[in-house]
Amino acid sequence: MATAVHLDGITKRFPGVVANDDVDLEVERGTVHALLGENGAGKTTLMNVLYGLYEPTSGEVRLDGEPREFGSPRDAIDAGIGMIHQHFMLVDPMTVTENITLGNEPRKWGGLAVDRAGSREAVVDLADRYGFDIDPDARIEDVSVGEQQRVEILKALYRGADTLILDEPTAVLTPQEVDELFDVLTELTSQGKTIIFITHKLGEAMRAADEISVLRDGRKVGTVDADATSQEELAELMVGREVLLDVDHGTAETGEVVASASDVVVEDERGVRAVDGVSFEVRAGEVFGIAGVDGNGQSELVESVTGLRTPDAGEIRFRGEDVTTASRRQRIEAGMAYIPEDRQDRGLVMEFDLVENGLLGSQHGRELASNGRIDWPKTRGHAEAIIDEYDVRPPDADAEAESLSGGNQQKFIVGREFERDPELVVASHPTRGVDVGSIEFIHERLLELRRQGVAILLVSSKLEEVQGLSDRLAVAYEGEFVDVVDPDETTEEELGLLMAGERPGDDGGGGGGPAASEGGDAGETESDAPTELTDAADGERA
Amino acid sequence: MSDAPADRTDSGTAAGKAEGAGFLDRYTTRALVAGVTVAAVVALLIAGLLFPDSIAGTLSDALTSRNTLAAALRLSVPIAFAALGGIFAEKSGVINIGLEGLLIISAFSAIYVADLTGGVWVGFAGGVVASTLLAALFAVVTIGFRADQIIAGLAVWLIALGLAPFASQVIYGSPNTPTVATSPSITVPVLADIPFFGALFSASPSVYMLFAAVFGSWYVFERTAFGRWIRASGENPKALDTAGVSVTRVRYAAVLISGVLAGMGGAALSLDLGQFTGNGPTMVNGKGFIAIVAYLFGNYNPVGAFLSTMLFAGLDAVQTVLQLQGIGIPRQLIRITPFVVVILVLALVGRTRLPEAAGEHYETEE
Repeated sequence: MATAVHLDGITKRFPGVVANDDVDLEVERGTVHALLGENGAGKTTLMNVLYGLYEPTSGEVRLDGEPREFGSPRDAIDAGIGMIHQHFMLVDPMTVTENITLGNEPRKWGGLAVDRAGSREAVVDLADRYGFDIDPDARIEDVSVGEQQRVEILKALYRGADTLILDEPTAVLTPQEVDELFDVLTELTSQGKTIIFITHKLGEAMRAADEISVLRDGRKVGTVDADATSQEELAELMVGREVLLDVDHGTAETGEVVASASDVVVEDERGVRAVDGVSFEVRAGEVFGIAGVDGNGQSELVESVTGLRTPDAGEIRFRGEDVTTASRRQRIEAGMAYIPEDRQDRGLVMEFDLVENGLLGSQHGRELASNGRIDWPKTRGHAEAIIDEYDVRPPDADAEAESLSGGNQQKFIVGREFERDPELVVASHPTRGVDVGSIEFIHERLLELRRQGVAILLVSSKLEEVQGLSDRLAVAYEGEFVDVVDPDETTEEELGLLMAGERPGDDGGGGGGPAASEGGDAGETESDAPTELTDAADGERA
Repeated sequence: MSDAPADRTDSGTAAGKAEGAGFLDRYTTRALVAGVTVAAVVALLIAGLLFPDSIAGTLSDALTSRNTLAAALRLSVPIAFAALGGIFAEKSGVINIGLEGLLIISAFSAIYVADLTGGVWVGFAGGVVASTLLAALFAVVTIGFRADQIIAGLAVWLIALGLAPFASQVIYGSPNTPTVATSPSITVPVLADIPFFGALFSASPSVYMLFAAVFGSWYVFERTAFGRWIRASGENPKALDTAGVSVTRVRYAAVLISGVLAGMGGAALSLDLGQFTGNGPTMVNGKGFIAIVAYLFGNYNPVGAFLSTMLFAGLDAVQTVLQLQGIGIPRQLIRITPFVVVILVLALVGRTRLPEAAGEHYETEE
């Protein structure tokens, strides 16, 4: 088979970060190639290089064997590459046809008018050729997200794309729409189109792709044949084993319940239940871990606990009080510390120096500010103490946050949050994108707090991390906890299965899990979660 | 089946009031306003027929007079031209609240050039050029230098408000210019004799130009690729950009067109009277702002904007007649009717859906 796309030794550096490190990727014509990896693994950066949005620091892009250089997406489009972004580039009040032909409208009367009949015909022909189900006259704002996505694909095809890049195409779709999308992909490849499909969902990669390349921390860790791999293997490749934790965390001397959630339901922007009736409690002196592949409701749950989001149902209690609707400030003052998953977005103000960043969250407190005035000398001392105690480098309180490396930014946040003397620490991916040395440092600090009797809620998609640190470990899948296990008595393989939504010794029987709730809704969806993943994968290749 | 569309609309309502689900409601509100207006007029006419000596009688006389229609048409010319200009700019994503300023500068320049050259049409062109230049300045500042559109628009108004009377003072020694010749009205034989509607066929050339401009604008938006690009540029510039069309160019073109159209309105305003008066708010006197209300009420549709302009202009014409006739209501109260109606209309149709990206700067990625 011919290689349609060949990325050869692509390295992309941003100031202070290596987003892609010498990545090779070969994609055969007429196949679906999945690019699998955690958030921040460098998938999207790599595809933006291919799409001409970024120029690689080094390395070469070859299409059909020809070396190409793309200065802009327009060059890439002209070379037959189309990208379907996660956020659609559609004009809502315009019709499907108008959107597809935008910028390339068929004209008549010497360009004085758009050939509307001709545009419509071109769109209908294109849709028929690939078996797309669309209404050419509907307005974008009136059609489903799945149809909008098909319009995006048609837009790329209308512009002559041979290779389609889909960035997390299933993130916005309902399960039925995902099925439809995969049918579309099959049809496209059967007509010779090449598809690269970015995802962090193991099951989908296995189901839709012919080959799967796994990225981790900007490097490609392997390319496997979708037929010859397993979810466990993929999970292992994705999550990696860079840190072998051998922390003797001893038996937990747990105290009273510090925080609890009961039947929490959070709907996301699409109205889909991101968190679907989750209950748990965290006791003083224990680490309660939540494992799971990203995007199974962990972020929404954490945001509800920390007060960034109000749950649609359920109750959150902290130190015996109902804090479901309490503000961030109230929660901070009551002793809740939070290490956010996106340190640059939520954790720090990148343009502020460390003195100012050290104040964040304490601006109302009496220690650093009083009567509406900030005590700057004290604040500086506070920041310097964090820098010293948490080994932030360079040790310069006047340095702007953005000048620090990711690991040092994270250590500063960890220090700031731990210095609050918290009762509860909510740590969301505390070591994501952090160097190995800092990872171990942060882990030790977390366990030290636990020894002091602080309750810790730890969310991470790194198996070793949650398994090594937690006293009790819940596994999140599609907004629910599949199970809560003792991490010391559970193998990685078992956890891998749980992360894929499979309950041990549970054949879809019941227990109100995902299987029960999903199975009930339609006869047509026999391939539904959680058995969907393996079943469909088998079925498709049978 | 898939319940995604429902989800979408639901979240749409929750997130932004002016989005998705409000679609139907918006049209009902508009229909309601239009319906109530028509019903009130009909009721008034019937009452007027039954009791010719009452206030209703006077009112219906005023309404059915062809002079009123002629006056309404004349009054609506500057407003409707400015409204068309505003539609072009705002649909492309640039809110041009400087329309008032464009009207003022073109009204003065038209008289000045006409006075210099002696040609009415040369003066007209001069007004259009002046307005387009000011619009170009606005475009450079807002699109090129990414200044705040509202502040830059106010600046355009204030510049013109200060500059035009000042120039008149310097040149003519008074904020009011001397009078120049006006162009005669064009009368279509036979048709002009139709009662009431005859006014449509015996009007100043600017009225006919307005009809052409309304149709032309409608055509551009509904039928041409450029019109689609303007819409896309105001709704989702990124989509237009990825489709290979320069958002910056489309926006420049749209703002310049708004300058041309507003310039035609301003020039027509002063040349119809043959004089520019620059006292206080000048002879433009808020017409540029009423134009904004008109195109919002007309839902960015050129025809809708024209019809709502006719509503305001018609009220203005009626109130002028009533002031002269005296119906026992203090003049001051009568005089404010058009403005009261503007406020009522705005309050009732407050949910006009603005273009998604209106007022936002756009920068292409790397």
